[in-house]
Amino acid sequence: MTNTQIPAVRPSRPAAAPVTGAAQPSVRDRGTRLLATLFLAPTIVGIVVFTVVPIVGSVVLSLFHWNVIDSPSWAGTANYREVFTDSTVLVSFRNTLVFMVLAVALQLLIALVLALAVNRRMPMWLRSVFRSAFFFPLVLSAASISVVMKYLFNQDFGVVNWVLGQVGIAPVPWLTSENSAMAAVILVYVWQQFGFSFLLFVGGLNNIPKEIHEAASLDGATGLRKHLHVTLPLLSPTLLVATVVGVINALQVFEQPYVLTNGGPGDSTRTVVMVIYESAFEQLRFGEASAVGVLLFVLIMAVTALQFRLSRRFVHYQ
Amino acid sequence: MTDSHLTRRTLLRYGAYGAGAAALAGTAASWDRLTGADIPGRDDGSLVVATLGPAYGPEAIRTLTEGFKKLHPDIKLRINAVQATDWSDFFAKILTQIAAGTAPDLVYVATEGVQLFAQRLGVALDKWVKRDAAELREYFADVHPSLVESMMYEGSLYQLPVEFNAADMYLNSQVLRRAGAGFPAADWTRDDFTDLLRDMKKSSGSQFTPYFWTNRLWGGVVPWLFANGTNLLAESKAPGGAWLWDGFYPGAERQGRGGGFRWTTPQATDARVEESYDYLASLIQEDLCTRPEGGNGQNLIGVFSTGRVGVTPAGGFWAGGLHLAGMQPGSFDVQYFPRWRTQRMQFGAAGYALLRTSKRQDEAWEFIKFAARRDTLMRLFETNQTTPARRSMLSADRYRETGPRHWQVFYDTLDKFPDTGPIPAPPQVAEVEQVLLKHTGTALASRRSVAPALRRMQSDLEKAMERDV
Repeated sequence: MTNTQIPAVRPSRPAAAPVTGAAQPSVRDRGTRLLATLFLAPTIVGIVVFTVVPIVGSVVLSLFHWNVIDSPSWAGTANYREVFTDSTVLVSFRNTLVFMVLAVALQLLIALVLALAVNRRMPMWLRSVFRSAFFFPLVLSAASISVVMKYLFNQDFGVVNWVLGQVGIAPVPWLTSENSAMAAVILVYVWQQFGFSFLLFVGGLNNIPKEIHEAASLDGATGLRKHLHVTLPLLSPTLLVATVVGVINALQVFEQPYVLTNGGPGDSTRTVVMVIYESAFEQLRFGEASAVGVLLFVLIMAVTALQFRLSRRFVHYQ
Repeated sequence: MTDSHLTRRTLLRYGAYGAGAAALAGTAASWDRLTGADIPGRDDGSLVVATLGPAYGPEAIRTLTEGFKKLHPDIKLRINAVQATDWSDFFAKILTQIAAGTAPDLVYVATEGVQLFAQRLGVALDKWVKRDAAELREYFADVHPSLVESMMYEGSLYQLPVEFNAADMYLNSQVLRRAGAGFPAADWTRDDFTDLLRDMKKSSGSQFTPYFWTNRLWGGVVPWLFANGTNLLAESKAPGGAWLWDGFYPGAERQGRGGGFRWTTPQATDARVEESYDYLASLIQEDLCTRPEGGNGQNLIGVFSTGRVGVTPAGGFWAGGLHLAGMQPGSFDVQYFPRWRTQRMQFGAAGYALLRTSKRQDEAWEFIKFAARRDTLMRLFETNQTTPARRSMLSADRYRETGPRHWQVFYDTLDKFPDTGPIPAPPQVAEVEQVLLKHTGTALASRRSVAPALRRMQSDLEKAMERDV
């Protein structure tokens, strides 16, 4: 009688490839790969068509002069040289980095504090109300929010200054002064964006075993100390995700400064994506716009890589 | 015995095949949607006209399509109302369509884009105008030559203006009464204007700002530059154009006309430009005027109609706008822009530009003529959402329901002030406007910041004008 049983453990592959050539995959392996490829195909096609091709296209276009009307002409590195000597572009990079640091820090801080507050004992329905309320701005259109905020922050007729006036504070030129315009844009942006980080933190806090907190309490840890030494380290993977996503979004900010201040006063709130839009669609300099786009892509990649690198030191996985 | 049950793996495999087949079938079925081939009128030989969406609602589109069909039943027409926030946004979208290979035949273009389109994309209308001179004589007799000249570029005519808006000064009657001030005289000066603002401020509460203006090319700082006898860019006239002036306008009206405007050397550091900015900065310091805010003045109607603003520059378009906002005809009025060294005022006009890429240029010309006819414009501009380019259309009857009382100011801005001219809009207009807006914001932060900001503006304008579009 032939033993047709399949061995429980498949023989391991030989340490070295046979002299006659590589081992041929079995029919079953090929079927598995084909199946996997079929399942992955829509996503791969989507990524190639909508991400890889545009990135490559932008890199290629950045080496040409093109104004939409005439045929593209070879520019080599001229667009990059132009970008590095254009004060508006350099200022926009500085603004974007400042915006990123302040907006992400504020967004994470507010989201964390509110998540910790909502994570306390309270009726389920009340917790749901808070979650919905904090998440709600995120589902609204950034442009619509910005239009409304522009009315609210208007120096002469806005509700914000009217409220300040009721308590004796002089009107603030929120959107028309270089000193306060960036702050106003950051406030609007953070108000809309913090809900995403908030939800992540709520989820992360729910995943922390209660036993650890109880053990910390038994050891004598109280409120703030418990959060610093127990909650935050255990929440660090969630913090990493929130930071990475927050940074990527902040580096691509466009709608809020475009609608609220149109990059002004002067260039004080002009961001990199605004410069890309203006160069391409208002000034018809698609080559330069692509060069700025490529630089922004490199910046985002670098900052993201740096965050993952630093995460090895600061992120603790259970 | 054979096991007839499908294994999970086999089920998944066939599922994947099925999903793949469904995806392919779905893509094939929706191919027309994906490629835009199902858009009505696309690639069916229609004459395609791109208009500024917000200004052309369904009623306006029906007026154009039905009216044109009666005249030319053999020409299929498709109006493509492009939604955009302002002219530069509109041009950006049109250029994107051109880049995508779906260029319209005709584009509605305002002064801001006349030279850009004429230089890079447009077709001169000269040969058709000469051919149909007899038919067009009535049109030119009804349209001020300044409007026509603003549509010329280097001696050729590129558009027939159908509407315009001059930057006149709107006044809130309730605020005037509250200040104990009368309606200003036609020849009021800059100082009269300042005194009026002070009177308004004194008689109103803290939530009131006498003068509101929007930081943009039309109606922003530029009217003050014109009034002070200067401009952002050196202005001259191109040679040529005699073929048009001699053919359609009497001697007095063609005096000093040329082949269109030229805007060349930036002059932001000119003493008069600085003086104009100083004046506006002083108004801000005195709390008589808002700090310049970008945008298209959307929030202005609300604050003007509720009496929180006393005076603002606007054109004939506001007669309809304020009426829609609920203002009664007597509750606001309009006067010329105040005199400074001159009383030259600014305007912006608009008409249809024919694109070089059009394969239906003769049909497009027929549409241009149709769009400039009096009966067409009468139906199109019923609600006073703009100032018609035809003088004969401005009448007491037209403004009885909406106001203002001094509606004659709209066309008299051209008739009584022949030097009134278009906003400076060279082919590099997009960058020029951006430079103007951003440095105006900085310049008016305080009186001390005027000169340094204008120096930076000059430098940026020089760079912008050196660039070829």
